[in-house]
Amino acid sequence: MLRRLRTEGAKWKQTLEISWSNLMAYKMNFLLLIVGPTIVFFFVKYNVWTSIYAMDGVDDIRGYNLERMLGYQVWVMIVGFLAQGYMGTRLAEDIRLGRISSYLLYPFEFWKFHTAKFLAFQVLEILVAAVTLGATLLLGLVKLPEWEMLAAGALFSLLVGFFWFAVSYAIGLAAFWLEETWVLRVLFMTVSNFLSGAVLPLEIFPRWIRTLLDYTPFPYVTFVPVKIFMGQATGSLWAASANVLLWTLLAGLLAGAIWKRGITLYTAAGM
Amino acid sequence: MRILHYLRVYREFVNTSFSEAMTYRLHFMLLILMDLAFYAATLGSVSFIYDQVETIGLWKREEFLFFVSFVLAIDHLHMTFVSPNFWQFSFDLRTGKLDFVLLRPIGAIFSIFFRTVRPASLVNIVVPWGCMIHYGMEAGLPSWGWVALPALVLAGLCLYVSLEILLSMSMFWFVESMGINFVRIQFQRIARWPDFVYGYYGRKLFTFVFPVLLVGSAPVRFLFDPTDYWPLVGLAAAVGATWLLTGVFFRLGLRAYESASS
Repeated sequence: MLRRLRTEGAKWKQTLEISWSNLMAYKMNFLLLIVGPTIVFFFVKYNVWTSIYAMDGVDDIRGYNLERMLGYQVWVMIVGFLAQGYMGTRLAEDIRLGRISSYLLYPFEFWKFHTAKFLAFQVLEILVAAVTLGATLLLGLVKLPEWEMLAAGALFSLLVGFFWFAVSYAIGLAAFWLEETWVLRVLFMTVSNFLSGAVLPLEIFPRWIRTLLDYTPFPYVTFVPVKIFMGQATGSLWAASANVLLWTLLAGLLAGAIWKRGITLYTAAGM
Repeated sequence: MRILHYLRVYREFVNTSFSEAMTYRLHFMLLILMDLAFYAATLGSVSFIYDQVETIGLWKREEFLFFVSFVLAIDHLHMTFVSPNFWQFSFDLRTGKLDFVLLRPIGAIFSIFFRTVRPASLVNIVVPWGCMIHYGMEAGLPSWGWVALPALVLAGLCLYVSLEILLSMSMFWFVESMGINFVRIQFQRIARWPDFVYGYYGRKLFTFVFPVLLVGSAPVRFLFDPTDYWPLVGLAAAVGATWLLTGVFFRLGLRAYESASS
């Protein structure tokens, strides 16, 4: 039993190390692909909100003054790094071009391989988030929250990261049927960006949309973790975490079902 | 004669793209859905902001939404006729397939960036153009403005595509060039907001150095105030400069290109 655990642990460790070296082989690509979009997204929102609050008579929008709104957007950026960075773009290409055959021969299950890759990616994302937070603190764009809030927000964001990974993985596996899966990924990201509060805080949305959103995972993707960081979360953190876990489980089960059916269609000859 | 030859080739490109699109119907439907979600999110964001404020800069809701629709109309043409080719270029460079494109007896840049059309996006034409007409009427666009509108959309598209082609030339020097495509998307994101929302340095940078802000702001500012024509002149100059630079960097890029191993 102990030997088996040790062997399994070694496989995870090896995959993590390989993933790190792969990610770091193209550092510029990593920066442009992962860090760049989030920073540009922040740059645009910073300018838009600054120009809105520069208007006469605009001091407060649904409880947000300029400082609080910019703080919100900084935390959106941090949560973006911690929870929404993973894309799994190569998974679909590997399936479509028949490249997963080699993975199927490995004594390490396919989902484990990708989960290890995701974990390696998350370690880098934590570093990027920490550096970004440090820079925004130095620039005075945000105030450091109490350490309990910081820890709770970071842990919750990392939990959301698992949900994001499960959805991305399920989308990637759709390549067993679809010629291209990037459409599904972009669709998910567009809807999620908008409805999770990444563009506008959810307080600004009409009430009927907010009521509908309560039945979806979207508020947990950005709005809830940001509010935790800001020390303004309402409701139980445990209940929110349980909700995220539930959605992650559902996405994981969906991915499992897709894999089970998809692998029976796999011809390994460039689908 | 030469233009006719190119038009005939382009007709074949379009025919091939349509045949391909009809083969993958689910993909076709998902593309339509993706575009609709994108339009709803973009217009919805601005609309929700205007539920809270009267104006942004000097623009009221209908003027701002006209601007957003104008940029979406450019974006729609871009998504339909050009966008897929940038991803293909990145893939071709990585896999060495660019060799076959370069061997064709036709202009390489034309063949690289105008080969694939996305018919599914064409279906959604009614959304951005419908919104543009609706908000244009609400904003009181003058009759000459309606006549000039299609030409101005094409002018914005021309700059948009020219800048992206120039940026894509950098892919020759990157082994893994997907990141460049993401930079391209970020410039689109910046261009989707009018120039006046950006601070002094941001505005200067994206007007004079990498002029993405001219794509939407120059034509729309001209439509609202014909005396404000200098940005439009700047747009024309930027297109010319971009094409000159593209020619230079394309030749340099080809020298750096090492086929499948690059």
